[in-house]
Amino acid sequence: MAISDTDFERLRDFIYTICGMYFHSSKKFFLESRLVRRMEATGAKTCSDYYQLLKSMRGAEELKYLMDEITTNETYFFRNVPQLNALETKLLPEIVEVKNKMGFRKLRIWSAASSSGEEAYTLAMILLEKRTTLLKDWIIEIVGTDINETVIAQAKQGIYNAYSVRNIPEMYKRKYIREENGSFILSPDVKKFVTFSKLNLYDDSKMIFMKTFDVIFCANVLIYFDTASKSKVVQHFYNNLQPYGYFFVGQSESLHGVNDKFKTVHFPGGFTYKK
Amino acid sequence: MDRNALMEKARLMVAQIDDLPTIPAVATQVLQLLDQPDVEIEAVADLMLSDPVMTARVLKLINSPVFKPEHEITSLKMALVYMGLSHIREVALTTSLIEAFGDDTGALRLNAFWEHSFGVGMVSKIIARNVGYKDLEKAYISGIIHDIGEVLLSTYMLEPFGTLLASIKNRPTRLVDAEIMQLGTSHCEIGFCMARKWNFPAAYCEVIARHHAPAGAPLEPVLCAIVNLADLFCCVRGLDYGGQEWISFNLQEEEAWQILKKLAPHLEEMDIERFCYELDDAINDITALVTSLFGAKRPPEA
Repeated sequence: MAISDTDFERLRDFIYTICGMYFHSSKKFFLESRLVRRMEATGAKTCSDYYQLLKSMRGAEELKYLMDEITTNETYFFRNVPQLNALETKLLPEIVEVKNKMGFRKLRIWSAASSSGEEAYTLAMILLEKRTTLLKDWIIEIVGTDINETVIAQAKQGIYNAYSVRNIPEMYKRKYIREENGSFILSPDVKKFVTFSKLNLYDDSKMIFMKTFDVIFCANVLIYFDTASKSKVVQHFYNNLQPYGYFFVGQSESLHGVNDKFKTVHFPGGFTYKK
Repeated sequence: MDRNALMEKARLMVAQIDDLPTIPAVATQVLQLLDQPDVEIEAVADLMLSDPVMTARVLKLINSPVFKPEHEITSLKMALVYMGLSHIREVALTTSLIEAFGDDTGALRLNAFWEHSFGVGMVSKIIARNVGYKDLEKAYISGIIHDIGEVLLSTYMLEPFGTLLASIKNRPTRLVDAEIMQLGTSHCEIGFCMARKWNFPAAYCEVIARHHAPAGAPLEPVLCAIVNLADLFCCVRGLDYGGQEWISFNLQEEEAWQILKKLAPHLEEMDIERFCYELDDAINDITALVTSLFGAKRPPEA
């Protein structure tokens, strides 16, 4: 089924306003294929019918199903390369300079909603590479949290499939990944820098203790929250960052209208939020 | 560094080049004619017809996928009527620049250069509309020509410029700063000297000279600020000379943003994130435009 440009734009605007996620026009074809499944499941005959359903009383529930269809839950190593480049090229040296001046040689990074650990371990590999240069004699702490205990167990185990590791640059793969019977096993050298624990981002009593992070990543989670919860959670992230810290959301996500304290800092292929 | 010293160095550099491309006199005359009130299309057509190369280019452009006429347009006057007076200025200028800079032997890939230039033109027009700047076409053209100085560096200073590009690869150094450091001048001053030689209108010369330092521009600081921001946004959304320059910026710290916010306070509420994502969507249009103008595909990555 092909949807008209008008229908596509209407749906895109709706998803953007409610979820804070932008659908690029290059993904129109993808959206169409996923939309068909939801239209069949709900009995909506036309795109307009489906749009009306999203706007109705039952809309919030249906939107969750649609978002599940259009956001793939699978994650993988080195997923958002522009963000990683920005961290390496600019943000990390900048943070290190500030902390060096204070004589505080400890780096703390939080992968919020860490799932099976790919993002946290990607960061660990990148930082590990700088142990002899920029981060010589630094303490590195990477914290991964998720609400789901099954994925936390997977993360702690550190064993991945071919899909997860396909984007790892060869240099890192040679050093930190060992293949065994079709599984890819992460080196203990990387694992020792990361701790994983269970955390519900809605839980205020726990969130206030996640302190003094230099960088926080929270990709593809806030899109599921309603505006009020989103504001509350983002305010926690803001409070939990060091004054010179940065907050990253997923590709195509937006915090516009959610928090007016963060400043956008742009770099090739993306942007980050600065405290 | 002292602005005068940068300009003097640029002047010497431009003066030393014997075979600097020329812009057809007709193009400059067309621009001047279009600046007059109540100009007639016939008068513009007569003037353009005196340059057969430009006439051919205009017809090629009008029949390209960019304008998509239903039937092939074969006369210049029809072409001008079809595209409208506001587009003629742009077409006269760009066809001449393409003529002058059609040689893809420089350190920068020609298509990447034009994609950036047309991208900045398009984004300048969007920002101009947003802040209520009256002459959208002027903003568009300013964006297209802002970096002409780079072409000279890329073509005539092949070796030092290649070394310079290599030195900033994947580093957070802005190209203009590296140029001043390593060459003692920048594409802004060089472009200004070229534009003066070609008798470009003063406002365009100023944009070329001041698009990285809009605050002190004597004639049109707002126009310079518009192009400055458009340039920054293009550099972070894929229209970045094929990744030659790695830049980052905090919008709140940019003087251009402050200039424009003074003029249009509602910018404070602008959805910058969405603006960026919409620019991503527009990149295809830009690459299609450049491909149709040059009739060539993007060469493979080196």
